[in-house]
Amino acid sequence: MAYKCYITFPTTFFAIRAESILKNEDYAFKMVPVPRSISSSCGTALSCDCGDIYSIKELLLDNELELEGYYRIEEAGFKKPVPAELNENDLEKLQYD
Amino acid sequence: MTNDLNRYFDNAATSWPKPEAVYTAAEKQMRLAYGNPGRSGHTHTLASDRLVYQAREAIGKLFNIKDPARVVFCLNATDALNMAIKGCLQKGDHVLYTAMEHNSVLRPLARLRREGLISTTMIPCNDEGFPDLDYLENAYQPETRLLVVNHASNVTGTLAPLSKIIYSAHNKGVKVLVDAAQTAGAVPIDVEDYDIDMLAFTGHKGLLGPTGTGSLYVKPGIDLTPLREGGTGSQSEMDVHPETMPERLEAGTLNSAGLAGLLEGVNFLLENDVMSVRRSETELRSYLYSRLQEIKGIKIYGPRSAQDSTAVLSFTLEGADCGDVGYILENSYGIICRTGLHCAPLAHQAIGTFPQGTVRLSPGYFTDKNDIDFLSGALKEIAELSTGN
Repeated sequence: MAYKCYITFPTTFFAIRAESILKNEDYAFKMVPVPRSISSSCGTALSCDCGDIYSIKELLLDNELELEGYYRIEEAGFKKPVPAELNENDLEKLQYD
Repeated sequence: MTNDLNRYFDNAATSWPKPEAVYTAAEKQMRLAYGNPGRSGHTHTLASDRLVYQAREAIGKLFNIKDPARVVFCLNATDALNMAIKGCLQKGDHVLYTAMEHNSVLRPLARLRREGLISTTMIPCNDEGFPDLDYLENAYQPETRLLVVNHASNVTGTLAPLSKIIYSAHNKGVKVLVDAAQTAGAVPIDVEDYDIDMLAFTGHKGLLGPTGTGSLYVKPGIDLTPLREGGTGSQSEMDVHPETMPERLEAGTLNSAGLAGLLEGVNFLLENDVMSVRRSETELRSYLYSRLQEIKGIKIYGPRSAQDSTAVLSFTLEGADCGDVGYILENSYGIICRTGLHCAPLAHQAIGTFPQGTVRLSPGYFTDKNDIDFLSGALKEIAELSTGN
């Protein structure tokens, strides 16, 4: 099954700051409207490969960003996806999957 | 040839012209479907979000502000000063301010004082506009929470000795709010070097941006009570305004078209370097001073040395009303300047021009010596008429 991972932010400021920091890095990522199945304070989320989410998170925290949540969603076409909220251990494991 | 002259000498009120990119960026922001910054996550909104973020970052770069989240956008310097003053003071606090302050500081303080919330002490200034630092040393009280200082007077251009004032205030545990309305973009300001607690400035003067843009820098660790609360596009389920900066102090849709223009104004300054703007304006001010000194009947106010001043010069003409001088300059020569009290009554009392005021000349980035020659020629003719020589 194919998955996408998401990072959400408390405010737009941090979403755009994250984008601005990641632009100088080699990650494949996109700023996207927060998927309907996730609840977030800010309407923009960062979508990335699940193998990268741990190191992206670390990089953003190193830059003193405030992050809200981490999610993994199955790419299920038009079927309603079920998001999995990820904790620190999940994120760490994902980078080796 | 005279058609090529820049006859606009009111840059201290608002700068003109602006760099070309300022006009085009503001227009583009409105013409293309840029969305409402911070609202939803579609590509149009993201485009606006990026512009606003870039503007914060560019301003951060200009003033050496490490964290762009501490750059709060607002309407103008007055708005920023109100946010700072009303956001940090509590009942019983004492505030110090200098005689060179603008009404944007004097009036908010006066209202809080009249309502019995705060007490204040004015630091007197001499006739060149420099504050009395000995007086300052003895003016602190146990309740003193804030010192407000005008970095440069909008009447005389006098640059306050910022380092000394901030050092003195911090020694007493007092926070400093710097009004940089006249200096942002015209004089290099490094918030870390000066250790500035709050810096209030407007976008449409030295920063060369559109009106309706301004900003307040708030040092990390200082928490202000918001002046406004409302929509931010984030944490919408909560009934209280978000605590996270910069949203904590921003509510409602930002002036994104204005900020798009401001970003280009600031980029222009980053490319051209504020130090070199300062050098050329110092030279212009010296030249203006020396040309006006040659004219009989003209009395110049403020510092003699351009090093102690921004590119602002106030004068009076013997036997003539300031308003009349301004009127003749505009109607006979097409020269634009400002006359009267310039919203700073105490400054006029300090330099001895209250209540009649002064004629204020403020060249800008795009003024050159030819423009000043034309201006001084015009003033010489007016002076000859006025003094009968």
